[in-house]
Amino acid sequence: MSRSVVITGLGAISAAGLNVADFWNSLKAGRSAIKPLSPAVENVKIRFAAQLSDYNPEKHFSAEELTLLDRYAQMAVIAAREAASDAGLEIKDNPLESAAVIVGSGCCAKHTDEDTCVQLYEKHRKRVHPLTIPKGMPSAAASMVSFHLGIKGPSFVLSSACSSGSHAIIQGMTMIQSGMVDMALVGASDAPFTFGLLKSWDALRVVSDDTCRPFCKDRSGLILGEGAGMLVIESREHAEKRGAKMYAELAGCGMTSDAGHITRPDIDGISGAMNQALKMAGIDVSELAYINAHGTGTELNDLTETRAIHQVFAGHAKNIAISSTKAIHGHALGASSALELVATTMAMANDIIPPTVNYTTPDEQCDLDYVPNTARQQRIDTALSNSFAFGGLNAVIALKKLTQ
Amino acid sequence: MSFDTVVEIIVDTVHCQPEHVKPEAELSALGIGSLEAITVIFELEEAFDIEIPNEVIPSILTVNDIMVRLEEARQ
Repeated sequence: MSRSVVITGLGAISAAGLNVADFWNSLKAGRSAIKPLSPAVENVKIRFAAQLSDYNPEKHFSAEELTLLDRYAQMAVIAAREAASDAGLEIKDNPLESAAVIVGSGCCAKHTDEDTCVQLYEKHRKRVHPLTIPKGMPSAAASMVSFHLGIKGPSFVLSSACSSGSHAIIQGMTMIQSGMVDMALVGASDAPFTFGLLKSWDALRVVSDDTCRPFCKDRSGLILGEGAGMLVIESREHAEKRGAKMYAELAGCGMTSDAGHITRPDIDGISGAMNQALKMAGIDVSELAYINAHGTGTELNDLTETRAIHQVFAGHAKNIAISSTKAIHGHALGASSALELVATTMAMANDIIPPTVNYTTPDEQCDLDYVPNTARQQRIDTALSNSFAFGGLNAVIALKKLTQ
Repeated sequence: MSFDTVVEIIVDTVHCQPEHVKPEAELSALGIGSLEAITVIFELEEAFDIEIPNEVIPSILTVNDIMVRLEEARQ
């Protein structure tokens, strides 16, 4: 029997709120943070986005610190600080000092990369800033979280597109289960609003021209978002010993790869990951209460995810409350899965299911209970958080309410 | 002229036989899925310096549909 792993701290920064309290209030109220892209970018078709509002990096970091912090690393550190504080941990002290840091990211330090390209290729500058490498290295967020919080355990960044956050959380979970560490700060961060990435998403033609409407007949695609979600996870024994408050048990995980189409999700890959997570968590398919869906608002995702849920849960599928919070916080790519686990944890802790907003018209092919538009008070003992990435990389996390 | 270019782009994208690319041919039968379709459209936009809007893409099901949208965009 492997060690039980629990969630003891939460941190979030996103368009839906710059901290967990504001994020959760937006989710509960069903308040979408999708707005016109600001500033509008010339020669880019994308017109709507979920961007941080009223974010001032200087409120969080000194000018000297900012020379080393790409936007994605800033958000990772801010969310990590909040999670550590929420878990009652002292910065640069044990047990945080010996924890692991695993940060997922789909895009990593693209702001720094593209700024450097502009300096070199457009402005024909002869030299770049001397800190371009440490600021722009893909692993920068893990280094910066380790650096700012005084964490000296194993630290690294991993990348699996839109599943990055879930893979990072699962990595930390298995390190705790193995006994390698007692505690880990895990999650993901992504800052995709750069000219090059906007043009690239334009070219893929999956971004909606107005808003994100998951599982809805008049869906028109995804809406990009930015942000970071970080969680403190630790062995239950360790959390109990230090008297930490515990939100939920990180009870199971499932990971599969489609080995198929580069962008089209696969029912068997998705259902395989859900089945693995349920099995590991010891959750019978007839008792699952809630799924925080991947729910991007693209036809391919929403139909495939719905069919996979039918395949796994059969007769129980229609009893499960399912919501996609992406219509509220946008699709923050790798960070989405971490933000969504924060959302799922808060949902379980508060017994409130955040809604799928912007839902207007039922789709006969998406025939499940998507908790449309209004949050629902409902006891949640068991939940899944689904994440499916381009490239066919699927990761599902199972949570269980803690029993005393 | 335009049709020849469309055939060339489709053949280069999905490596099908040129003789199969007839106006009435369905794109799915030529091996053109959603990703290949946006690649073909991208190549057409580049070749003819035109813009084909996202909202018309779901209605492009045959080679002739491509020709129609191409002509619309060129006007």
